[in-house]
Amino acid sequence: MKQNYDFKIDKIKDLTSEEISLRKKNLDLFYQTGFPNKKDEDWKFSDLNSILSNNFNKIANNDFLPREKEFKIIDEFEHNFISLFNGKLISKDFPYEEKNKILINNFNYKDGLALDSKNSLYLLNNALATGGFSLEISKNYKLKKPLVVYNNFSNSLKEKIVNYKNSIILNENSELNIINYINNSSKENFMVNILENINIKKDSSLNNILINNSKCNCYFYKYIKSDLEKNSNFKNYLLSSGLKFNKLDIEINLNEENSNSSVFSALNLINKEHQEIKTRINHNASNCNSYQKVKNVLNDESKGVYQGKIFVKNIAQKTDAYQLSKALILNDAAEFDAKPELEIYADDVKCSHGSTSGSIDLNSIHYLKSRGIPENEAYQMLINGFLSEILEKLPEGKIKNFLKEKLERQINGY
Amino acid sequence: MLNIKNLEATIDNKHILKGLNLNIKPGEVHAIMGPNGSGKSTLANVLSGKNGYEIKGDIKYNGESLSELSTEERAQKGIFLAFQYPLEIPGVNTNTFLRTSLNSVRKAQGDKELDTLTFLKLIKEKASELGIDEKFLSRQLNVGFSGGEKKKNEILQMKLLQPKLSILDETDSGLDIDALKIVADGVNSYKSKENAFLIITHYQRLLDYIKPDYVHVLSNGKIIKTGDADLGVQLEKTGYSNIV
Repeated sequence: MKQNYDFKIDKIKDLTSEEISLRKKNLDLFYQTGFPNKKDEDWKFSDLNSILSNNFNKIANNDFLPREKEFKIIDEFEHNFISLFNGKLISKDFPYEEKNKILINNFNYKDGLALDSKNSLYLLNNALATGGFSLEISKNYKLKKPLVVYNNFSNSLKEKIVNYKNSIILNENSELNIINYINNSSKENFMVNILENINIKKDSSLNNILINNSKCNCYFYKYIKSDLEKNSNFKNYLLSSGLKFNKLDIEINLNEENSNSSVFSALNLINKEHQEIKTRINHNASNCNSYQKVKNVLNDESKGVYQGKIFVKNIAQKTDAYQLSKALILNDAAEFDAKPELEIYADDVKCSHGSTSGSIDLNSIHYLKSRGIPENEAYQMLINGFLSEILEKLPEGKIKNFLKEKLERQINGY
Repeated sequence: MLNIKNLEATIDNKHILKGLNLNIKPGEVHAIMGPNGSGKSTLANVLSGKNGYEIKGDIKYNGESLSELSTEERAQKGIFLAFQYPLEIPGVNTNTFLRTSLNSVRKAQGDKELDTLTFLKLIKEKASELGIDEKFLSRQLNVGFSGGEKKKNEILQMKLLQPKLSILDETDSGLDIDALKIVADGVNSYKSKENAFLIITHYQRLLDYIKPDYVHVLSNGKIIKTGDADLGVQLEKTGYSNIV
């Protein structure tokens, strides 16, 4: 779809000539390959180029901020918030916290544009990104309430791509729970391309949740690169059903000993939705744990993909790595692809992976029906049971209830 | 209440029920005994509306043809099957399941659905009657339950849904004496002039606690002998081989 790009760096305001030239270099590199396609091993099951060609006439970078009515705010639990509108930081509030412990700013592009030719979406982001935020939590500070990052998108983004970058730093012995909330219910096709850098310093802990408020015609890509220091924790809960296309690409670097990471995902896909979770866990130090559990329910003509790689460096002894993907396929036209990969250079490690896919257990359906539960509800109960297991490890409370309720709504079709 | 005429059932080309006749009136307790493979569980499955059987003959429930009713409609109209092997359903909370079940039945019968608080009060009461620890109700349905706990859970569901016809498929298997007594007490306390029981079992044991009005011997897909409670006692002594 190369001929249909309308990407203009001069739409972006306040750039130095140096920045312009660096962005141009990135854009030129992007043009050499275009959007990723299935020839690229990382995109083997998700041919973004042809998906976009089939659904977009042309694609242009977003350059304006139309005024729009207020977006829906979560009222189920008390929270701090950062609100982005088409990627731009428009408001923030940390009413429950000590203000001087939290640093929040617009993302600083002056030092964030490295060239990386492996991933063309990365290049495109480098060329066109505006907005985004950088957040830093002070040493020894544990946020009292969760932080909701509202990713609001206007309804006038037809055939636009929104690119931005975020940076999150948790300094030593700090703690944060983030809920990334994608807020849009537009019928228009648009694309989002986010790069996020996460730094979790010694003894710190981050819970990262991704969720949508409703269905939307968004083609979404998010690349999260995270680096963990000693004794740190990073947990991800990916519950973003409802996007037309979604690829969550997560790189976790366990750089120092005793750090732990996990990725839990529960997705219920319908119609022609296409979602991919890709994880790359790099065990670069000893005594680290990693855990991934990905569950997909595939209805209609939907497609789910899980590509998970665990890399264990030679010095990373006593690594404990686990990966499991389970899919329920409810229709012959639905598809699930899994590609687990282990690359291990240390000898004293515990690594396991597994992948299963199957259909729903009809005996269980019969059991529920024999108790008077209508068939469609019986299916929903089983699907919900299958997916909600992902939330089991979250502590009981308002957030868990909120996520459970969201998941149920996603299964019942919003 | 239940009139079965010349019932035949086939699954995977296996002809299992071969002309079964049975009439059950309100207030009656019927026991069906028989050797392994005689078709006892098939009868239970067919009555509950399980898919996969090719059926001939006629089953009328309160005058209505069962073949036209789905499994859930049968349950909503008061047919209850206590499963021989209750299924484990991961991720589904027992309380949520019980409430959804009760409210589906109530809704179909034109009754008001129960809100969470009213339901919880009711279920606690019923559970304590059966000596079921409350904590089981907040666990995943039957997951990790012992055999006895699963069977008690079936009887709990029966008492909650208040069916007209209860079919107990080998509910006594896997129960120790104490659990057997609790289950039998549960059944006996629910027995009334309006509702009926069909108890499928291998052994007389359960019938020592729940006295049947009729005992039928099922063999090779047919009822070959019918008697009163004494027939069960006799079978326990002599085995099936003298009759079959």
